Amino acid sequence: VTPTRIVDLVRVLADAGVEFIIVGGVAANLHGSATTTVDLDVVYRRTEENLARLVRALAPFEPYLRGAPPGLPFRFDVGTLRRGLNFMLSTSLGAVDLFGELIGGGTYEDLLQDSDASPILGHSTRYLSLERLIVTKRATGRPKDLMAIAELEALLEERGKR
Amino acid sequence: MESSPPPALAPDPIIDVLKRDVDRTLLRENLQRTPEERLLNLQRALDGLAELRKVFGVPGR
Repeated sequence: VTPTRIVDLVRVLADAGVEFIIVGGVAANLHGSATTTVDLDVVYRRTEENLARLVRALAPFEPYLRGAPPGLPFRFDVGTLRRGLNFMLSTSLGAVDLFGELIGGGTYEDLLQDSDASPILGHSTRYLSLERLIVTKRATGRPKDLMAIAELEALLEERGKR
Repeated sequence: MESSPPPALAPDPIIDVLKRDVDRTLLRENLQRTPEERLLNLQRALDGLAELRKVFGVPGR
């Protein structure tokens, strides 16, 4: 059993100064969703400096392509990140998805204005706004997301009542 | 810090039906917490799940 250490994943990224925005299920949780999620999805900024920070942050935790057969010549380094865009990884801290760009969502720079920032684990941590999260989930059009969208919209209504 | 007021989201009849099944009491409880507390609660839930998987010998992710 590999425990998912989402708190530690967020901490190592933030401690390394990585510029990222939490999206997906963990962002929904940060807004108050009651649904449990087992991986961390982030949109990362694709500057050379940030790619280097990302590598420094995650390299000690054995990142590998999730679901890929063992033994592939996968190197988690700046060159690999530069040549690719979105990476679904397993690490010794759990699953983490790194998005250079979100479907229906855009890049780090695009999403910045639609993100919230809160003090989390000693850092000002960015996560996608509830409204943009709903728009993004709707854009993916996956049937499995329908219940999640319903919960997020209910959350938006409840927040509006406060 | 919360973002600006929501843009208009067109109503979706399927989502509106599904919304009736959402347990809003849990959402209201969560809204009283800070984002950091919500994250730590998520981690506690995941730790509990991992413990259950260990006890019952269920392979986890």
